[in-house]
Amino acid sequence: MTLLGLSAAYLTIFIAGFGVTLLVFAKAGRLNLVECSCLSWLLGSGAVSLLIWLCGTFCSGLLLQMAVTIACLALGISGWRIKQKLGSKFALPLPTNVIEWLLTSLLLVEIILFFYVSFKHTLGWDGLLNWEIKARYAFLSGGVIPGSYYSDPGRAFSHPEYPLGIPFTELWLYLWMGEPHQFWVKTIFPLFYAAGALLLALFVTRLSTKRWPGLIVATLLAFVPFLSASPGGIIVGYVDFPMSVFYLAALGYLLCWYREDTVSNISIFAGCLALLPWIKSEGVILWVLLVFFGLCLSLPKHRTRQLTLALLPGLFVVVGWRLYLRLMHTFPPSDFAHPSFSLLHHNLGRLADIGLPIVLYPLSYVFSTWPSYTAHMTSSLPRLLLHVVPAGWLAIGLALTQPKGQVR
Amino acid sequence: MQFRLYIHIGLWCALFAVFFAFGIRIAGPALVENHIGPVEVNRSIDAYILALSGIEHGSEKLPDVFGRLPKAGPLIIVVRKDNSQSEFLGMMIGYISWPREIKLIKVATPTAEKELAGINPDSISGLVFCLMDPPAWLGKPIRLGSSIFLVPSPKTG
Repeated sequence: MTLLGLSAAYLTIFIAGFGVTLLVFAKAGRLNLVECSCLSWLLGSGAVSLLIWLCGTFCSGLLLQMAVTIACLALGISGWRIKQKLGSKFALPLPTNVIEWLLTSLLLVEIILFFYVSFKHTLGWDGLLNWEIKARYAFLSGGVIPGSYYSDPGRAFSHPEYPLGIPFTELWLYLWMGEPHQFWVKTIFPLFYAAGALLLALFVTRLSTKRWPGLIVATLLAFVPFLSASPGGIIVGYVDFPMSVFYLAALGYLLCWYREDTVSNISIFAGCLALLPWIKSEGVILWVLLVFFGLCLSLPKHRTRQLTLALLPGLFVVVGWRLYLRLMHTFPPSDFAHPSFSLLHHNLGRLADIGLPIVLYPLSYVFSTWPSYTAHMTSSLPRLLLHVVPAGWLAIGLALTQPKGQVR
Repeated sequence: MQFRLYIHIGLWCALFAVFFAFGIRIAGPALVENHIGPVEVNRSIDAYILALSGIEHGSEKLPDVFGRLPKAGPLIIVVRKDNSQSEFLGMMIGYISWPREIKLIKVATPTAEKELAGINPDSISGLVFCLMDPPAWLGKPIRLGSSIFLVPSPKTG
């Protein structure tokens, strides 16, 4: 029964995501099945978690589950009908030579291994006490986190102000399984790995017009130690890697849009960009970076209007979540103080220790409230760097194949 | 022309080889350590409570014990400051005692005399000490597992 519920939860997520993907790509003519599957997971988890949050303000329990399920099915049916109307066809890009077959097989083995290793570990500290805790409390209260949780100083350790993208994806599984099953809930994290690795291969292939560099970097991604062997990786249920996948997807489609001005590219960019701050608070920093990067790319091509429109969904998510937290009288976050010039001036001496190798993230430690801000950095900075790891591999993949003019 | 191409390929191959050599040494052991399961609902909570206090199925047993405490007043969870195991166990207790109101107190001294002096025993439902002994003046505590002590409120029947 539990596995049946788990399958139904995944099916509804994929139907919702597939519907959104088809709505965006319907005009494309040829739909890459691998790309559609990856986006179905990313956009499906985002859509379901947002739907639970929004519908949860009006209803709870079975009614909430039914409302979200109907919305998922409606999205799926709408996408399918539009795809049929416009006559787009699915295509599965198969490897074309021995090396591509070998690399593809390796990639699939790695994805299976990530599932296997995930099953062997428990949820980690943050995975349990910052993220899963929200899913469990919401499950115990009919799918809605009680208002008392947000303002409870005793449970401030679980960061009530953190966004609900991953916790409510976990909650969806719990609602369908009928119990907060901490073993099966971990299956969502290797799925993010699968989506990230396949999208990485796809972006490098699309942007370099060669498939082998994409497959090489996607295969090597698994050997980044933090993904499988350190606190914060995929196997312990932290949200850092899922966020890095959304960042990769947003960046990849932004680059595709720069190359080819299509509505589908900018729309998927807008969707993944909007979900960044919905996955983790630090997503706002990545959101700002992508907006800046997007502006740099759109100005020379006179496409700032499309980019400005693409920012709106993300702004709605950020502002909506902030307003909600204010309405819930959320206990103020304890790790960082509210940034201010006086505090910056007071803690300016920390800059010397923090250094400037990667500027934006370390700057936040100037406002750390931990007794030892260096301990705060040591415990979280390597994990935060995970946010840009797939994007780093995208850059490596593109550097592998220099344009012909540069290789003399 | 050809020379630059060879340098390009050679450099990337060398970088990947170094990365692979370092990565496999760290990521490899993750494949062999631990074993799958158990496939249980409270897999993670139970594993941590068992490791830290020796209590099996702690996610069910501990809420049962706390259920006998008075409903009014918060459950005070006392943990050792700068002791990550004690803090983690305290948070786990807070996690499983939902929806009961809790208050987490981090104490710097082993006796916690100063931090607890201001607490009125009648205004709380109980005190839980994680990986630390309760002060003697609180009375005889109930031992839960190897490292958790519960001091119920005097109102407890």
